[in-house]
This record gives sequence, structure tokens and C-alpha cells, in this order.
Amino acid sequence: MFHDVDPRSPTPLYEQIAARVRMAIAAGDLSSGDALPSTRQLAQQLRINPATVVQAYRDLASDGFVQTRHGQGTFVLDVPGLVRDEERRARATHLVRKLLQDAARLGLVVQDLTEALEAETGVKTRG
Amino acid sequence: MDNAIELAGVEWQAGKSFSLNQLDLNVPTGSIYGFLGPNGSGKTSTIRLLLGMTKPLAGRIRVLGMELPGRLPNVLRRVGYVPERPHVYPALTVAEQLRCHASFFPSWDRRWADDLTERLGLDTDRKIARLSKGETGKLLMLLALAQRPALLVLDEPTDGLDPVVRRDVLGAVLDYVAETNATVFISSHLVHELERICDWVGVMDHGRLLAELPMQQFKNGIKRIQVHGAPEVPLEPPFTILTREPTNGLGARETWIVRGWESPMRAYFDDVGAEVHDVIDLDLEESFVELLRSARPSDPQEG
Repeated sequence: MFHDVDPRSPTPLYEQIAARVRMAIAAGDLSSGDALPSTRQLAQQLRINPATVVQAYRDLASDGFVQTRHGQGTFVLDVPGLVRDEERRARATHLVRKLLQDAARLGLVVQDLTEALEAETGVKTRG
Repeated sequence: MDNAIELAGVEWQAGKSFSLNQLDLNVPTGSIYGFLGPNGSGKTSTIRLLLGMTKPLAGRIRVLGMELPGRLPNVLRRVGYVPERPHVYPALTVAEQLRCHASFFPSWDRRWADDLTERLGLDTDRKIARLSKGETGKLLMLLALAQRPALLVLDEPTDGLDPVVRRDVLGAVLDYVAETNATVFISSHLVHELERICDWVGVMDHGRLLAELPMQQFKNGIKRIQVHGAPEVPLEPPFTILTREPTNGLGARETWIVRGWESPMRAYFDDVGAEVHDVIDLDLEESFVELLRSARPSDPQEG
């Protein structure tokens, strides 16, 4: 779930971690009651500052995605379907924005991207 | 105690050629602070000052809320230090060195020392003279950690170690921090490593502190901007221009490197009748290099 967390990205690490957890919940990879890795474990695994993991979990908790029970760990809450859909949309928007930015640098226009998307997926996006 | 390390107006001189000038440093308690700078920029001198190994000509130094040099013994008892060059005795075995070191530190955690010895795969019967560079690096970190310090001062702790050993050594530090919330002051020129773990950065060059701020702010504040049609003499911009060069082969286009950037500042370019083509993020290494480059405009060749 966290394998593509990138310390060189301008997006802060805690935001990247929180975003991946939210997405995993939205996609159903994590469900209500599942435990997240401990702060210590995740800091070790990603070789990052434990404080960064603490901050990511705190943000997730204040957004209502997880709950940290003192001395027991951090657990996924029952997130309403509406919120999960919203999260999926937010992620998709984020990806498209980044794609458009990269495309602009390369001098590509929306038409080029749409054609490539259709060719890759085999699905027509327009009538 | 808000800051684990505080230097204010510190002056220091080594021979004729090198000095630290009006050095102010503030390392927040509980942070992992990356102390960056090229070789010879004054990182090790600063570390020697804050451990009382040398004395400033002027200025004030406080470590863990205690004033130097008066309270040096109390400071040293609570600071774990990994020096740039090993300070262990080649003739001792690992076990003897551990016992020797432990005798100086009342807070020495024997069980944890044993645990780390096993985890890092150190052979306690081996003479230190016969340890590889990687094993010596692990031993130095073990010595610093097992005294359970409130502050870890690491001077190029992973320099010259292979990636596997580096990972083990830093892993042990992160584990300790997760458990204790200790402050870590780590000097290194291995920028990528610091980018992962540090939440604060200080950048040194030629005995001066060029920047000190939270990692995210430092990284996000320095941008490479492609500008078209900017006036030759810019009207006071809200950011600092570090460098400004024509972009190769692209007509009137220029590349600006700026510091203190925030996205609403794009409006500045509209106001001066210029057009922004792109705002490019820099990673820590690029930010670091650009900052140093701009600090040395007169002689870019100088090491």
C-alpha cells in the first residue's frame, strides 16, 4: 500500500501516507476494524521519521477514517459509501491534474491524451 | 525547553582561513534535524562546539536547556554522539568496548545494548581492529544509543557505509526515536537520506548558516520558474531571486530560481507584464545545490 511513497515529491510524506490509507479504504482494500501498521513499524518500513507517521494517522483520525486507541493501535472506522466515493473522485481529479501539468510541459493537448487513453483502455470516451 | 540545541551569536576561529561567524542555531526538541553543508563548511566544528570539545570566542551555547561550558558534564551524560572518525580502541574486543563505554553512562541500558548487538549482527568477541568499516559504524551507533540519550548528535554517521548497513544503522535510530521522542541532530552530505527522515534542515556554507527551517517549507519554498518577458530590473518581488539565467535556446525565456515561494505569488508576474510558463518543484538535493550556488556568486569554482 505504501510502496510508492516518494520522499522527493513536493507533497509532504504525511499527506502521501494519509492519501494512500484513504484510497485503500475507498477501494475496499481496508475495511472497518482493520489495524494500520504501528507508527514504529511503518517508520521502519519506509525509513522515515516516526513523527511523520503520527501526523498522517492524526489527520486520518480527524477526518473520521481511523481511530487511534491508546496502547492498542490505529483502526479503520466504518466509512460511509458517500465519503468513499468522494475520496475516489478526489484521487482521480488529483491524477488528472498531474497528467495535464505533465502534458503541458511536453506540449501535448487534451486531444492527444484522450486518444492515448482510448488506445490503452480500448474504451471510447466520446460518442 | 523548546530547543534541544541553541547557539546564539557564536564566533569561532581555526587558524587564519576558517571561522564561524555569528552562528545562530535552533534545533527544536523532538525534531530530527538535518545539518547540511559541503565538506569544510563548518558542520563538524559546530558539533565540536556544542559538545564542549572546543570553546567559542563569543556567543552563547545551550544544550538540553543547559548552558555551556558550566554544565558540560550534565550535558554529555545525556548526549549520544557518533563522531565522524571512530573513537573506539582497536585493541579492545567489542564486549570490552561496550563495558568501557557503559561505565561512563549511568543511564546505560544493558539489555537493549545486548539486543542491538544481536540485531546488528556484531560479534562481541572480535577485536575492534578487525571489524569492517560497516561493523565499526554499527558499533558506534550502538554505543550512542544504548546510553539512552535525550539528544543524539550524529556526524556523518553513514558516510562510507554500504546501503544495507546504512539502513540497519538508521533503522535503529528511527526505532529509538519512535520509542523515546529524543532529538536527533544529524550532519550529512547524503542528502537523499536526510530527505526521508528529517523534519528540520539547516544549511551551512563557509562557516555561515544559509537557511534553517522545517524541511517541507525549505523544499516547497525553492522553485525553478520558466518566465517569459520579465523586465530586466525586477520590481521588488515577494520572493527572493537566487539566480536568473536565460533558458538555453528558447528566445526571451528565462529560468529563475526563487526562494520563499508560495503559489499566489504567480500574480507578481502578471503585475510586471511577464508570463509564467512553468513552476517546477525541486527535491532537497536540487534545492540545496541551488542555495549554495547562489550564495557564492563571485567564484562558482570555489570548493
